[in-house]
Amino acid sequence: MQDLIAILNDIRPGENFSETDDFFAKGVLDSVDLTTLVAALEERYSVFIDVEEMIPDHFRNLDAIRALLSKHGVTA
Amino acid sequence: MTTGNSNGTGDAKVQRILLAGDTTLDPLARLLERSPETPELRCSVAPYGQIYQVLLDASHPAWASNPDCLVVWTAPHLTLPSVGKVMRFESAEHEEALREAEQFADAVRQAASRVAFVLVPSWILPSYERWIQTLTWRQGSGLANLLARANLLLAEKFSQSPNIVLLDAGNWQAGLGRPAHDPRMYAVSKILYSQPLLVKAAAEIKAVLRGSLGLAKKVIVCDLDNTLWGGVAGDDGLHAIKLGAPDPVGECFLAFQAALKGLASRGILLAICSKNNEEFALSVIEDHPSMVLRKRDFAAWQINWKDKAENLQSLAEELNLGLDSFVFIDDSPQEREQIRQVLPQVYTPDPPQSPAELAPFVLSLPCFETASLGREDAGRTEMYHAERGRKQALELSGDIGTWLQSLQIEVRAAPLRHENLSRAAQLLNKTNQFNLTLRRMDESSFWSWASEQGNDAYVFHVSDRFGDSGLTGLVTVSRRGRQARIVDFVMSCRVMGKKVEELLLAFVIARAQLSGAKQLTAPVTEGPRNAPAREFFAAKYLNVDGAAIDPARVAAPPFIRLKEES
Repeated sequence: MQDLIAILNDIRPGENFSETDDFFAKGVLDSVDLTTLVAALEERYSVFIDVEEMIPDHFRNLDAIRALLSKHGVTA
Repeated sequence: MTTGNSNGTGDAKVQRILLAGDTTLDPLARLLERSPETPELRCSVAPYGQIYQVLLDASHPAWASNPDCLVVWTAPHLTLPSVGKVMRFESAEHEEALREAEQFADAVRQAASRVAFVLVPSWILPSYERWIQTLTWRQGSGLANLLARANLLLAEKFSQSPNIVLLDAGNWQAGLGRPAHDPRMYAVSKILYSQPLLVKAAAEIKAVLRGSLGLAKKVIVCDLDNTLWGGVAGDDGLHAIKLGAPDPVGECFLAFQAALKGLASRGILLAICSKNNEEFALSVIEDHPSMVLRKRDFAAWQINWKDKAENLQSLAEELNLGLDSFVFIDDSPQEREQIRQVLPQVYTPDPPQSPAELAPFVLSLPCFETASLGREDAGRTEMYHAERGRKQALELSGDIGTWLQSLQIEVRAAPLRHENLSRAAQLLNKTNQFNLTLRRMDESSFWSWASEQGNDAYVFHVSDRFGDSGLTGLVTVSRRGRQARIVDFVMSCRVMGKKVEELLLAFVIARAQLSGAKQLTAPVTEGPRNAPAREFFAAKYLNVDGAAIDPARVAAPPFIRLKEES
């Protein structure tokens, strides 16, 4: 979990990711950040997130991201 | 690849960057803003798909941020429709594509007049685009051939605009080892380039900007054992160190020395900082048959058993350069860590573990970027040797007066011209110590300013019996009616300590008086390192609280010969 938060903090330093339930609605992440986030997750967890999975719902909050990674066999 | 700090403490202000492209460039803007080295960058991204509107219309809202630098990154198949057609095997002529390229180049040149720098990454295509490899280089019809011609056309069209820099995106793509294009991201948000390419692009843009702003590193200090050669010379002896054929490890160190020599040839100073017996180490350097670098290739050395941080400081004093212009290469992790702690302004990267990677490592360091190369760069090491000659003469002659006389210093004054503009601008932008106002300007802006009615710019070449220091002085004056004001007074640290500044000021006073000025002022700009200039001028002012020069306090030194060119 710490790794995931570290990745997010690298993209948006200082934002409170653990306590936000909707990153996009709260303006903590935007669509441009999404592409950087996907690249970082792929690098860190050696997964490949395909086009169909690049939807905001999968990255809306920490639980959503963990669920996506879990589908790829990664426990974050 | 390389870790370690690379802080430059230069005094460049925040740079505003405008990014314009035919794909989404926002991730690049964010990467540039997050880069920790000076200068700080503030980026804005022009609206998507409005390349020509932004380039051609100075009143487009994208310009509202008043940028210092414009980055124009286009994809050839998007901005040049005929390239797209050739790619898709639709009927299109090379000539039509080249006309479109010309149109693009002209639009960039128009926009270039509004900013200090324009950076244009060269045109690249995704490497998955194989087209037909058998035909791609065919003259007149092949895709690779067309792309090369289009990029060459850009180089040609931009050659008259010194503030437009064509960047080698092909080099970025080639070095990536991973795809440079990301079709997934393009589908989601029209981001054409992969994250690794964007990271590389941001680093390269930063390096080029730093180089053009005078923030590049100037000195590379190397350890000896297991850095310039394999093994420990003191233990193994001269003939047992690994250097040169037939040992492959020896070949690697040879290649590393050759790479360093290349850097020295274009003006980067080489120095040594090694824990060794000095006489012995120098004998290895002079006597080993395979050494590429000899004593004459090094500007200075500290070879002793003292602490390396102390030695680096001695080198900085000896070379009269700030430690923030130093790069330190040492195979010992403990030495590197100590320097990073004690002298964080020195760039101390981790060299690669494998000797084979040493040459590639030093060749790919981005911290030595420069906007120009000239005579002063090529002969820089020799100038330091000449300086050592002067110092020895001083020790021999005993008193400064006799010594100064013996140097036979000659100063050649000339007006700023096209031939000396590049070096003059380099001096203006790189000099930190003997610089009165710390004004920084790119070449074309400087030339425009100097060409204005009432503005004069003089350059000074300094030489003595030990050697020619080259163009090492620059003074500009702004005349309005009876008032004259020194706008720039810049002198290379290379010629400090010989009263050359006294001559320069006397020359300027004489010229100002000739042109009818009744008063010459020299207002100072205070910076972190220009105390030498400030202190010199403080002693020349008429009164304590003004900036008017008292001519009675200035006298051309009798031991310097002045030659004036018109």
